[in-house]
Amino acid sequence: MKTLVVAERKGTELRRVTLELAAKAGELGDATVVEIAGERYSPLPFVSALAKKVESEKPDLVLLGATLNGRDLAARLAARLGRAYAADVTGLRAAGTSLEADKPMYAGKVRARVRLDLPAVVSVRPGAIPLNAGAEAPQVQKIDADTSAEKLTFVKLAATATDTKRVSLSEARVVVSGGRGLKGPENWHLVEELADALGGAVGASRAVTDAGWRPNEEQVGQTGKTVTPDLYVALGISGAIQHLAGMTSSKVIVAVNKDPDADIFKIADYGVVADVFEFVPAFTDAVKRARAQ
Amino acid sequence: MKILIPLKQVPDSTVRVKVAPDGKAIVTEGITWSISPYDEYAIEMALERKDADASTVVAVVTVGPARSRDALRQALAMGCDEASLVTADAAAPLAVARALAKVVEETKPDLVLCGKQASDDDQGFVGPALAEILGWPHVATITKVVPVEGGVELWREVEGGHEVWKAPLPGLATVHKSEKEPRYPSLPGIMKAKKKEIPERALAAMGVDASGPTWTILSMEPPPARGGGKILKDGDTKQIAEQLATALRDEAKVL
Ligand SMILES: Cc1cc2nc3c(=O)[nH]c(=O)nc-3n(C[C@H](O)[C@H](O)[C@H](O)COP(=O)(O)OP(=O)(O)OC[C@H]3O[C@@H](n4cnc5c(N)ncnc54)[C@H](O)[C@@H]3O)c2cc1C
Ligand SMILES: Nc1ncnc2c1ncn2[C@@H]1O[C@H](COP(=O)(O)O)[C@@H](O)[C@H]1O
Repeated sequence: MKTLVVAERKGTELRRVTLELAAKAGELGDATVVEIAGERYSPLPFVSALAKKVESEKPDLVLLGATLNGRDLAARLAARLGRAYAADVTGLRAAGTSLEADKPMYAGKVRARVRLDLPAVVSVRPGAIPLNAGAEAPQVQKIDADTSAEKLTFVKLAATATDTKRVSLSEARVVVSGGRGLKGPENWHLVEELADALGGAVGASRAVTDAGWRPNEEQVGQTGKTVTPDLYVALGISGAIQHLAGMTSSKVIVAVNKDPDADIFKIADYGVVADVFEFVPAFTDAVKRARAQ
Repeated sequence: MKILIPLKQVPDSTVRVKVAPDGKAIVTEGITWSISPYDEYAIEMALERKDADASTVVAVVTVGPARSRDALRQALAMGCDEASLVTADAAAPLAVARALAKVVEETKPDLVLCGKQASDDDQGFVGPALAEILGWPHVATITKVVPVEGGVELWREVEGGHEVWKAPLPGLATVHKSEKEPRYPSLPGIMKAKKKEIPERALAAMGVDASGPTWTILSMEPPPARGGGKILKDGDTKQIAEQLATALRDEAKVL
């Protein structure tokens, strides 16, 4: 199978998902990795450049990371070329002249296995494809975004003061999320200190992002991000079905809640019935000690 | 300004989705259906425009089975002005986008707001596909729309902040979230919605190309069930914290 991988960069480095896609593409057959060079993602200049490349190379499969921009570009590309499309897949196999993909549906409450006819476009969830340690960065061909197709005007980037030294939520191996039980944004240092001790990212429930305590991009759940880290720690989160939809596939789940009947305990591997204000600082210290030994 | 929102009716977010015995669909009997959450945000975003400028007209449309009429009724009860139904029991996603493009050409909205993805197929395809068919630019996953001279400013949340794009009208955006929570239908809203006409026509009679790539569902399963695990409760706070950290390191091996 001939695959074209669309690379994405964060700063100067290729995103990890690009390496994952390149590894998968290599496994499926011939792989070419392209990066669309442009100042920032915009659908028309990017899709125009990419569609041209796809039409000349005629890959059976185009793979993109199911990132914010990757998902958008993939959908528009599939529409432009009239190709079969599956978004945010978590697994991928060749099956004769078609492709089989594992595809979350119903806000992640169902895992489906679907068959797509080739040629196809697929976006793949970051972290879903295992990457061997020491996997080499692939050769990347650059193509220029077609700025002549642009009909939008970029006005500005209104930056929020988020900490960029932490890993991004969807790629993190450890996620520590806070809920309404944290009582207010002024207490978020508790969540952050634990996340830092664990080397993880910070998440939140929708109650928290709706209240404006934390930015939307940190929301985990049905209308937020789906995360599948090795360790998910829920602090002061009740465990509503919409929150669970975004994190039940985590490998190990830890819950801290003062209500012994909270639903989150029904799915947690380790539960602690306690006040977060008392327990979290003690746990952060314990984690630091455990990691130092 | 006229705003059109293509919406989809999906299982309500509180539904515990069950897989049917054949393993190829979900059990739909007895479940509650609702407007897909991101479409609800799109409606709220449009209604906030209408609150600010009463001349704004907010229309909704859906392509779906007869039950989808309830979702349109719900949108009218929230405060939308017009609704129309395109009936189709199942349609290829590209055909849905083509039918919506036809509705756009006929009703000439200034702004089309789609949800970023529908909470059944979790695809996020129809919005960009509709823009593609119309030959319009689009802005993905927006959280705010601000009318400005010559168009609209569309805000989208990216890692570390918001990008602000200016789009000419007519234009299209997919919605990630509104500034406020989607409003509940008011009682007068519900009464008014009951009296509104919802015109209906069949996708098959629209003269749009109904072909397009689809997928075949081979199987469906719920995510692996998780039982409740251990509750750590022996000792004081410090001791429990130690036990948990040790268990995560030595037993679960995630530290
Ligand atoms: C369409 C739709 C989509 C949604 N999407 C999402 C989504 O994507 N993500 C999401 O998270 N939610 C989502 N929700 C909302 C969801 O239903 C819940 O309202 C939300 O998850 C609750 O957040 P919470 O657990 O932080 O708050 P609460 O439910 O209020 O729970 C707070 C918890 O903190 C505990 N607590 C309080 N004080 C302390 C303390 N001092 N120490 C320890 N514990 C304490 C309480 O016992 C309680 O269990 C959605 C809802 C709808 C309708
Ligand atoms: N059948 C439909 N009728 C009307 N709008 C739809 C339909 N399907 C999808 N949409 C719109 O497209 C968005 C993305 O849907 P999807 O591509 O199915 O994830 C939805 O949030 C709706 O705004």
